[in-house]
Amino acid sequence: MNRRVTMLVFWKRYARRFILPIGGLLVTGLMLLPIYFTAESSLEPSSAFQALSQTIVPSRFIFSNYRVAFDSEHASIITSLLIASGAVVLSVGVALPAAYGLTKLGYLRSRAVVSVAIMVLLVTQMVPGISLTLAFYKLFVHFHLLNSIAGLILADSTNGMPFAALVLRAYMGSIPVELSDAAYVDGASEWRTFRSVIAPLMVPAIITAGLFVFLFAWGDFLYAYTLTAGGNVTPLTKGLLTFFTNNTVNWGPVLATVVLAAIPSGLILSFGQRYVLGGLRAGALKG
Amino acid sequence: MPRDEIPPPPRTATWSERANAGANEAFAEAPPAVLRDGARARPLGGTLQQPASPRPKGAREWLRSHRRQAILVAFVVPSLAYIVIFFAYPLIYGVRMSLENIGFIAQSGPFIGLHNYKEEVHDPVTGKALIDTALFLVASLFFQFTIGLGIASYFNRHFFLSSFLRSLIIIPWLFPPIASGTIFAIMFAGQGGIIDETLRSLHLVHSPIFWFDSSFKAMFVITFVNVWIGIPFNAVLLYSGLQDIPGELREAAALDGCGPWQRFRYVTAPLLRPVSLIVIMLGIIYTVKTFDLVIVITNGGPDNGSQLMSTWAYTLAFQNFQTGDAAAVANMLFVFCMVVAFFYIRATRREVVIA
Repeated sequence: MNRRVTMLVFWKRYARRFILPIGGLLVTGLMLLPIYFTAESSLEPSSAFQALSQTIVPSRFIFSNYRVAFDSEHASIITSLLIASGAVVLSVGVALPAAYGLTKLGYLRSRAVVSVAIMVLLVTQMVPGISLTLAFYKLFVHFHLLNSIAGLILADSTNGMPFAALVLRAYMGSIPVELSDAAYVDGASEWRTFRSVIAPLMVPAIITAGLFVFLFAWGDFLYAYTLTAGGNVTPLTKGLLTFFTNNTVNWGPVLATVVLAAIPSGLILSFGQRYVLGGLRAGALKG
Repeated sequence: MPRDEIPPPPRTATWSERANAGANEAFAEAPPAVLRDGARARPLGGTLQQPASPRPKGAREWLRSHRRQAILVAFVVPSLAYIVIFFAYPLIYGVRMSLENIGFIAQSGPFIGLHNYKEEVHDPVTGKALIDTALFLVASLFFQFTIGLGIASYFNRHFFLSSFLRSLIIIPWLFPPIASGTIFAIMFAGQGGIIDETLRSLHLVHSPIFWFDSSFKAMFVITFVNVWIGIPFNAVLLYSGLQDIPGELREAAALDGCGPWQRFRYVTAPLLRPVSLIVIMLGIIYTVKTFDLVIVITNGGPDNGSQLMSTWAYTLAFQNFQTGDAAAVANMLFVFCMVVAFFYIRATRREVVIA
């Protein structure tokens, strides 16, 4: 018994303070090692058969890899930024009113309609993109949307719109209903209540949904790859693949492009982390 | 009236609570179990205890309440239109494509019934893609979930730096998959790749390993990368599930003499079950859709040895010009996803009732 207490005291006093953080650092370090080597190798001269060198810090800092990467991919970066921003505007613009309508319909006891709608939103998230993209291709040929930024915005929103609607609806359920009631009593129309009362309160959830839609569209490869065949619209994901397959010897610039492609993720992690974690929970566990 | 008989001021109700309150009235005659469950959702304050009037009386009032509903439906219409145009229609169109003999994707072809499906069921590459997709799925989920659960339980105890490290661990999941795929394709390169160099400097192997010259090794690399991407997702959601389990329960079990394993087996695991189910279902859905990793790491090679259903459908349509067959393969994948979706929705329904 005495020994057990001693052990417990030891654990409380030292292990919690030192062993747990050290273990945590090791686990995190192991997970992030590939990313670290990528960033490190992108900053040093690459030799033909020695990509991802085993040195911990660059032997010599150079930025020429980034210059080559940027020269080759700057058009793709702009294309991807336009597509991702467009997808955010479209997805959130469509999903926000839907979330409002669904929440208030639920409140007016049209529960069956609302559960069916939510079920549809859940199911659409589970449709594999490849099942859609074959038809998209044919339809886009018909409507002249192939190889266009507009077409990719429309296609990429299939990933973002249902998710945004679910996240926004989950958040809207936590807004005090008195606010909307008060606006209603004061004679505000539904549209006015939505625009002037509810939408401003939804800003945190809009940021969450927007960040996710942006990341989905920024990282989309399937539509970028299939719906731009032979055209001059090249999103960064497709550009990276082309750059990679054309540079089997000189990997420095490829790794620099990987870092460029990962910049939005890094920014979001630094500034929007709580939105991301909240959205991940709301999108997956609630709904 | 004495002051202490005044009821407490009504608590502000939220929309979900109101909606639930409506649901409780509907369940008023349900068995006690449901009532007990719903009682928690019924707000304590007086605002919601209006006299029960399930149906407005006058015709004018009926019209008014339904006009309000019609306006609210108008808010939903744009998203409904989007779903019809970009989900329902393409899926139906995809069924039509799978019943036609289409070569190049932009062309159309004659109706040939279920011939494409028959052909694909007997095609050896499709069969192998199906088996590989299943193995890829099972292996990915197993390792993502167990490692994710391990990390989640480790970080469940708060310690110095824990929240900072926890936020860093999510990075692989935020990366564009194509970027992660590129990193690992370079790391696993046969000669000079860092994995190969490390294994050789540790004297575990003596000659370079060419990871992409056999179907098994190629699938191993793809699975490895997918596990790496999936761990953060599992860890974050399982962590939040663990956080929702009151620490008192584990303490009580410890006082009753349960060891760590017993505490996990009889306290944590059962309470984590709903979250785990959802995490696994979402994992299945994300994994079965995997496309970019294969394209960037192996491009389906060697000799179609690492095709998944998704990439095989792509290859059939865009490289082999057998679009009809591609549509058939894509629809098989779609049916599989819908079966998982069915179970997912059942699981979330139950989760909503529990939570």
